Parts: sequence; C-alpha cells; structure tokens
Amino acid sequence: MARGLSLYAEGSSPLHRAHPLTKATLTLCAIGLAFILPSWPLVLGVGVALLSLLAAAGVLRRFLFVAAGLLVPITLLLALVQSLANPHNQTVILPLGPLAVHREGLYIGLLAALRIADLVAATFLFSFTTRPADLAEALMQRGLSPRFGYVIQSALQIIPQSLETADRIRDAQRARGLETEGPLPRRARAFIPLLLPLVLSALVATQERAMALEVRGFGLKVGRLARYRIPDSLGQRVLRWGLALAVVAALAARLRGWL
Amino acid sequence: MTPVIAMAAARYRYPETDHDALGPVDLAIGPGEWVGVVGPTNAGKSTLCYVIIGLAPQFFGGRLRGEVSVFGSPTASQPVNERSRRAGLLFQNPFTQLSGARERVDEEVAFGPEAHGLPQAEVEERVAEALRLTGLQDLRARHPLDLSGGQLQRLALAALLAMRPELLLLDEPTSQLDPAGSRALFDVLRGLHAAGTTIVMVEHRLEAVAAMCPRVIALGEGRLLADGAPAEVFNRPEVQASAGIPAFARLAALVGKGPPLPVTFESAVEALRG
Repeated sequence: MARGLSLYAEGSSPLHRAHPLTKATLTLCAIGLAFILPSWPLVLGVGVALLSLLAAAGVLRRFLFVAAGLLVPITLLLALVQSLANPHNQTVILPLGPLAVHREGLYIGLLAALRIADLVAATFLFSFTTRPADLAEALMQRGLSPRFGYVIQSALQIIPQSLETADRIRDAQRARGLETEGPLPRRARAFIPLLLPLVLSALVATQERAMALEVRGFGLKVGRLARYRIPDSLGQRVLRWGLALAVVAALAARLRGWL
Repeated sequence: MTPVIAMAAARYRYPETDHDALGPVDLAIGPGEWVGVVGPTNAGKSTLCYVIIGLAPQFFGGRLRGEVSVFGSPTASQPVNERSRRAGLLFQNPFTQLSGARERVDEEVAFGPEAHGLPQAEVEERVAEALRLTGLQDLRARHPLDLSGGQLQRLALAALLAMRPELLLLDEPTSQLDPAGSRALFDVLRGLHAAGTTIVMVEHRLEAVAAMCPRVIALGEGRLLADGAPAEVFNRPEVQASAGIPAFARLAALVGKGPPLPVTFESAVEALRG
C-alpha cells in the first residue's frame, strides 16, 4: 500500500513492471518534447500518446479525476489572459466591450495549456506506476549514495508523519477543551495553538530519529548490497537511448528551423 | 570473564549544564545478564543508556570522564553506528525510531540489516525471525503509520532484533504499551535472555523489574544508589525513598509484613499467608 506523498497505484501492467529509469526517461523525454515541439498537433500527439499509456496502465480514470481539478482552471486562465492581453494579438474573434478575444493569444494560451497538460500527464504516469522505494533502489544500484536514497524516500513520508503528529496534538488539545471543529473561523483559531507544538515536536523528533538511525547502523561504510533485483532488459535500454535521442533530434530540428 | 559493559568512575555532563547528569558510576555487567534500572525522573537512567551506546557524548556533545567500554571497546573511540553491530538501544518513543523512509513493516525491519550491508537472503531471514519473535508476521505488509502504539513499540523492537544484538538496552520499553502488550514484550525479552542476550532495561514498572530481572540497579541524581538482587535493592531505604517500591511490597508493608519486604507477587503471597 502506498501512503504519503506517493501516488503509486498498485497494478501489473507492463508500465508498472518497467524499470523505474525507463519510466523516468519516458517522463522527462515526453516533457522535453512537449516544450520543444512548436505546433499544437505535435504537442497534442505527445498528449495522446501519454493518455494511451495511462490507459494501458489502468490509471486513466484516476488521472482524469485529478487532472480535471488541476488543468481546467489553468487552461481557462491561460486562454483568457493570453487571448485578451498577448502583445502579438491582432485578429479579434470576439469583442467584449473595451476588451476583445484574439485568435493569436487564444492559440498561444491553449498551446501553453496543452504543454502543461502533457507535463502533468507525464508526471502522473510516472508517479502512478512507480513505487518511490523502487526508484530510490534503482538509483542506488546505479551508484547514488544511500544517504541520498534515504532523503528521497523519507521526503515522501514527511506529510503523513506530520499529519499523524498533528492528529495527536489536536486530540490532546480537544481533550483540554479547545474547539477544533465547526465553522472555518473557529478551525482557523484552533490552527494557531496547533502550529507551535507541531513545529517543536518535529524538531525533537528529528533529533531522536537521527539518534535512532545511528543506533540502527545508518551511515556505516559498507558496500551496500541490492535490496532486490529490479528487472531491466536490452529492449528497455534501447528504448531509453531512443527516447533521449528523439529529444536531442527534436531540439536540433527546432534550432535549425526544420520544425 | 570480560564484562559486556564496564564503567569506572564514569561521569557525563550534557553541554551547557553545570552538573553531571550521570556519575560517578562504577559498573560491570557480564554476558547474559538481565539488569533492571530504576529510579525517579532525572535520575540519569536514559543518560546511562546513551553513555553505554555512545550517543553521549558522540551525538549530544558534552563531557565524558572516567572509563566506559562495551565489549572491551571504549565508547568514546567507536562510532555509534559501528557499535550497532553488537549493541542496540530501544528508545522510549517508538514513533521516532521509525526510519521514516519505508512503507511496509517488513521493509522497516530490514532497514538496519541493510545498513549493515548484509546479503539479501540473510536480511530476509532476520526480518522473518524478528517479526515472528515480536508477533508482527501478520502485519508485515502494513504501513508502519497504520500500527497502534503497542504495535509500533513491537516494530521498533523487531527492527533492533533483526540486527541480532548481543547487548540490548531498553529505555522504558513498556511506556506505550497496555498490560497485554507489556506481557507480550516481556515474553520476548525472556526468550532473548534465555538465548544469552545481555539486557539492560530501564523500567518504571517496578513489579516487572522485581519479577524478571535477577539484578537491579537503582539510580538517584545520576549516582548509583544500589546494585544487587531485587529483594536486596528494593529493601534499601534510599531506594524506597527515591525510586519507590513494587506494589506487592507496599501491600505487605501496609499489613505489617517485613522488613524485609517481599518484592515479587509470589514472595508477597507467601509473606501474607505466613
């Protein structure tokens, strides 16, 4: 089960089984292509490919649910601002009193929104199909320091741990008569006495955790052995290089003016 | 026989304080002993654990005088993570003992053995053993934060046991446990003691200390007040005045039995019948 900042959704699709570095490369290359490719059909093509992969991984519905709340307001905002105020605006398609919606700005706004949608889709594709522990393990097997691997994994657990502590403090304060539920102003007032103990307990916990890690042998100068084998294959290695070359080719083509 | 823990005129002072939190203490604990440590708040019980494991002064700073060695190595010269190969410390708060980086109970238990660079097959064997000893097998796939306080304490112990320490220091291990959880923990400790593990247990449940620990150390204001068998230590007036006495001894005193006061359930029953 995944908790914390991890968005990992259990599954057995080929994407779930793929090496984390393959998925990381795919994500970074998709984002790179979305921002390098100049025209909307190409950027849309990247988006369609990502949506197909999300569907193949069985997480399309989950993505659409999360993305709707995130991307619809961004798209509306970009389209509105750009179509009204972009300096390249020339062609009016909808007069609105003293303002006017312009074709050029609308195109630029929608293209920017499409690129952001690609970025979000690529990031979610990676997050939904990759356990953070697998990513850290794969990176450590490629030579990343175990200390840095620990930082990656522990950073993803900070939020649930803080929420756990906050719950305990809130329960203790409620037991002493503080009203922590009800209308927003009341909850806002209850937030202030929560904050100081939360910060202090976080500081104390950090010290105690540092001691506990020492006592558990963290930081020993030993050759770290792989926790488990993460399957990789020649096909995946070729795919990773192919994706990286595609980005380089797209960048070169863009700079040369071929696209 | 070389003692597991040897302290000679050991004193420790935390940074920016003007008095010793511990000492002078002379102490020798042999292999396979189970020693209970009792005393009031600020008696230096936790500090004793920190000094033995080496966190004081290596982590806290401050000043350690006298001699402290564990398995023959001076604590001042051996890093704490090196010492973790043979000695473990269970802290009071199990929540802060989690690595904070693992999403499953079994992965959390594996953290220490992996940090020691053990082969994966051995890590898995140790994890399975530690989970079995602490009764957490059925919870191995759970997220550590989904466990209750008692289960968390058992997880913290399992994480230590997976490193197979020859010396186990326990700082109030039952502070988060209900009576059933405490009994389960003590059962685990009995098994470890029978297998030869040296145990030093700071514990405020004096009845448990009197019942289980063949040797008891009483601390007061950082000094060693008494060191001996439970019946001897808990009958010392200075220990009774500072650390208190087990409930059975109090009961016997109320009905005029003793001195010496019986300190265990069995001896109290015998005294009350007599």
